[in-house]
Amino acid sequence: MTCQQLVELLLDFVDGSLPESERCDLERHVCACPPCRVYLDTYKQTIRLTRELPCEPLPEALEERLRAVLSLRPKCRKPGA
Amino acid sequence: MPDDSPTGPPPDPEQIFREHAPRIYHLARKMLGNDADAEDVLQDVLLTVMRKLDTFRGDAALTTWLHRVTVNAVLMLRRKQTSRAARELSDPLDVFKDDGEHAHAARPWDAPEARVEEAERKQLLDAAIDRMPEVYRDVLLLADIQEMPNADIADALGLSLPAVKTRLHRARLWLRNELARHFEDPAP
Repeated sequence: MTCQQLVELLLDFVDGSLPESERCDLERHVCACPPCRVYLDTYKQTIRLTRELPCEPLPEALEERLRAVLSLRPKCRKPGA
Repeated sequence: MPDDSPTGPPPDPEQIFREHAPRIYHLARKMLGNDADAEDVLQDVLLTVMRKLDTFRGDAALTTWLHRVTVNAVLMLRRKQTSRAARELSDPLDVFKDDGEHAHAARPWDAPEARVEEAERKQLLDAAIDRMPEVYRDVLLLADIQEMPNADIADALGLSLPAVKTRLHRARLWLRNELARHFEDPAP
């Protein structure tokens, strides 16, 4: 298995759907190849960082407009806000 | 598609708005690249779901349906936009030599959390995703941010399952290469 072939299999490897024989080949390659070990680690970090991106709240003005359009009660404001 | 055999009470409109509106807006905004169009999509999707409330039972069915309706609305809007700039579709696997070895060995990332503050990290990721070619970005947003199953993404985008997996993999590789410029340890 070359480094490029390994990288092409990473999606199935990280989601656990790679067939066992290919998984074993990949793991052997990773053990023997420091650049691929780094590549695998940074591929996993990319997925983790993307999944951790926070979902921001709606902009205040948009939320107020939509609540009016949808006939929902106005947003509760924090005391003193 | 709404549940065919509803049982139990329909979802609460206020709860739907609080739990789903920010996610719909975020998805539409990242897919369309501008706030005004995303606001229109969000309003249309919410009006549609409020009209069909009686047909939903269960949050899973509603979430799947909302993703599909949002993606449909985005794709329809895109088709109307005739002047979208095509972005060059670079292959993130073009970083290997003919013999399949890395052309440039990747360097470790020194804990991005330690290297870059959270706000800056979010900004870097957001900007990279915005620069990503559209065919990769759509699938990445749905898979890794909205956490939709690949089969549902295939349905929503009208793609085969292998095509979704290929695009998702290319998207992750593309993003990894972009982030590496910021997160890699300095060369020795």
